[in-house]
Amino acid sequence: MRRPNEIAKDEASMATLAELTSVFEGIASMRISQTKTQVLESTKFFDELWKIYTQLRVDSLFSFGRDEGQNNRVVIDKELFIIITAEGGFSGDIDQKTVEAMLLQYDAEKNDIIVIGHHGAMQLSQRGISFRKYYKLPSNDRNINVEPIIKEVQQYRRSTVFYQEYVSLMDQEPKHISLSMAVKSVGSGNERLDEVISEQNYIFEPTSFAVAAHLERSMMKIAMSQLILQSKLAQYASRFRAMSASHQRADEETADLHMLYNRAKRGVKDERLKEIINGMKKSKKAAV
Amino acid sequence: MSDEPHTEQHNSTSTPNKGEQVEGKATVLVKVYAPSHVYFEGEAYSISAVNQTGNFDILPQHHNFITLLVPCDVIVRAPTHEEKIRIQNGIMHVKADKIIVFLDV
Repeated sequence: MRRPNEIAKDEASMATLAELTSVFEGIASMRISQTKTQVLESTKFFDELWKIYTQLRVDSLFSFGRDEGQNNRVVIDKELFIIITAEGGFSGDIDQKTVEAMLLQYDAEKNDIIVIGHHGAMQLSQRGISFRKYYKLPSNDRNINVEPIIKEVQQYRRSTVFYQEYVSLMDQEPKHISLSMAVKSVGSGNERLDEVISEQNYIFEPTSFAVAAHLERSMMKIAMSQLILQSKLAQYASRFRAMSASHQRADEETADLHMLYNRAKRGVKDERLKEIINGMKKSKKAAV
Repeated sequence: MSDEPHTEQHNSTSTPNKGEQVEGKATVLVKVYAPSHVYFEGEAYSISAVNQTGNFDILPQHHNFITLLVPCDVIVRAPTHEEKIRIQNGIMHVKADKIIVFLDV
């Protein structure tokens, strides 16, 4: 049987673990609330910009903002896969699910991969899948710089983003979307073409064409930022879920250890009592 | 150095109600914001910024206008104060005395 002081040490360690998981749970919960607000603000911003864009030109002409002096650029005839994962391995199983979802569609001949987040890069390396580039997942939720990714996107015929969607606190799903579709879907429902913006009724500087191309690039950047934000939200929720489960297990384990400690302490007391009684019996016999 | 727009305020004494003409001067409705932050929202006498052509001011009754802004200080002259917002890039949309400046795009 283990000694009570050994069990007490284990109980104290387990209680520290329970406190630690509780702190991580709290941090994840706070980050979820902040990121949710950020996603809402960003969507509102996009909606207003989208309204101007749809009045300026129809979305079927969406060309990834390549127009401005880039007509002669050779476009890579492949589909670019962009996968958004967590930076560390502390985000539950959602990264693994996203990587698996991407690999179901991956063909080395037809696809190039760009990874955002170190955890995804590690998972692909472990599976022996090579990727074109790796970017760190932005630690900041504001002013995400997606310029380098957009430059890569503009080189390809098509681009698909594999990301993580926050369904609820306890439910996150891997998803994928074509980037041009992402721009359209974020802007859907805001397509009130009540007024056409043209050179007939507007002054453009420098030119209407430059403004339209700039708007396309801007919306692509915002859509990409939103997908990153959504993935971060799902990762925080997944982390929250993992930490909640760990917290619960640590609490249960602490309770079990406490019971074990009480039993061991009782055992020691019983043992001592037995020794005293035996001692008393022996001394009584000796006296007789 | 951060790319985030930087703001400065210079206060004046008068405090008019929103939407009213102040000392007989017409105003425009201005909103300067980025996806993560609203830098200014309210009535203003005028707004100044810089595009590829150079410095320009927008006053009430301005024609519909869309322009790409270059790194500059956007100056909003509000009835209560003057606000200077340092920007890296942006898009300005002017329509019917309503000015929206989209930053970080």
